[in-house]
Amino acid sequence: MNQSEIVAAVLFRLGPLEITGTVVTTWAIIAVLALASWLLSRRLQRQPGRVQTVAEGVEMAMEDAIRAVAPDHVQLLLPFVGSLWIFLVVANLSGLIPGVHSPTRDLSATAALAILVFLSVHWFGIRNQGLKRYLRHYLSPSPILLPFTLISEVTRTVALAVRLFGNIMSLEMTALLVLLVAGFLAPIPILMLHIIEALVQAYIFGMLALIYVAGGLQSQQLKEQRQENPRA
Amino acid sequence: MELNWSTFLLEILNFLVLVWILKRFFYKPLQEVIARRQQEIEARVAEAEKMRSDAQQLQQQYEGRQAGWENERQQAREVLQKEIKDTRARLEDELQESLQQQRQRAEVVAQRQRREQLRQLEQQAVEQGGEFAARLLQQSAGPDLESRLLALLLDSLGKVSTEQLNELREAAQKNAQVVEVASAFPLPSHQRDEIASALAELLEGQVDCHFVEAPELIAGLRIAIGAWVLGANVRDELHGFSQLESTSAND
Repeated sequence: MNQSEIVAAVLFRLGPLEITGTVVTTWAIIAVLALASWLLSRRLQRQPGRVQTVAEGVEMAMEDAIRAVAPDHVQLLLPFVGSLWIFLVVANLSGLIPGVHSPTRDLSATAALAILVFLSVHWFGIRNQGLKRYLRHYLSPSPILLPFTLISEVTRTVALAVRLFGNIMSLEMTALLVLLVAGFLAPIPILMLHIIEALVQAYIFGMLALIYVAGGLQSQQLKEQRQENPRA
Repeated sequence: MELNWSTFLLEILNFLVLVWILKRFFYKPLQEVIARRQQEIEARVAEAEKMRSDAQQLQQQYEGRQAGWENERQQAREVLQKEIKDTRARLEDELQESLQQQRQRAEVVAQRQRREQLRQLEQQAVEQGGEFAARLLQQSAGPDLESRLLALLLDSLGKVSTEQLNELREAAQKNAQVVEVASAFPLPSHQRDEIASALAELLEGQVDCHFVEAPELIAGLRIAIGAWVLGANVRDELHGFSQLESTSAND
């Protein structure tokens, strides 16, 4: 087990930027998804085939999940949250391909996604409510809780990144260790566990992101609704 | 476990690009297709709703028309029932009138039959009375009664009107003065002579009397002068009495 099994190696450089295997894998995933989406968009019909039916089912399932949490912002949140789900499912499962490492086993990638979620919470909140109204919710219900709220903002972002990185990294490490100890047939159950864990982690990451963003969108609205209707 | 800032920044950029690509080639086309399909479904639902509305309107029209037909049929039925009622009343009146006429006719026939029966009964009673009287007189008849009847006859010969007397005389001349004298009992010679002399005086000439016995006369005499018959006997009297009673009953 050398260092490259744990840390993504730098494959080449583009000026000041180091291009690691994580970035290349991510580009490959993006290329595959873009090609599949382009082909699908060219063949869309009123009477859907199997592939279109699956695609529409995925899209409507994501809409329903977002509608259950933020019913008034489905169209606003679908591109970001849906893309998180799709990318994480594909990225987590890409580790099953021999010689390919999942991008999400790299803390830089998971941190980047977590930072995007952190920024999206504030971006959608400010865009929806305005800067003053959005910032006002940090003082609610009491200004005393402001430090704890700020700590929570940071820690939940770090937890988001570390949780995904830790799970996927541990999965790949476990599979690698079992492969070294028990040979080629033993990792198959571990690979099955990898599939389940990849799907679960993708769902958890996307759902937490959705809840955080929806919380930022609806925090001030909930406060106003409570003030208008105290019994609710 | 260390953070590679190049990877960190490129992953952020990569994900934003992926969001744009998926929004452009995945979400938007799929949502448009779903929206078009939803519009088609809604259009079909609206069309179906319009067809249902039209069908309901047609149903209402049909029900209204059917109610009109039902009303017309009810009116026609009422008119027909009224006509049937009038016709029945008229037929009942005619039947009552016919029955009344038949009853009156039957009453007349019954009255006539009763009168006929009464007349027959009366006639039968008279005949029975005659027979009874004849039987009674037949039992009580005898030469004495016949003698008295002879005396009565001879007495009545003197009371014959002139017109009748002339006709008797003409009848005797036409019959050669032959007179047939019938009696219920044999007449003694003196009575025969008395009769002959009385007839000769009545007819103003010699008379040839033929005396015969006729027990059916019961008692008395019957003198035949041509077509003329002079009677003083019980049989003729009873017969005359019966004829008289029958005539009075017919009247």
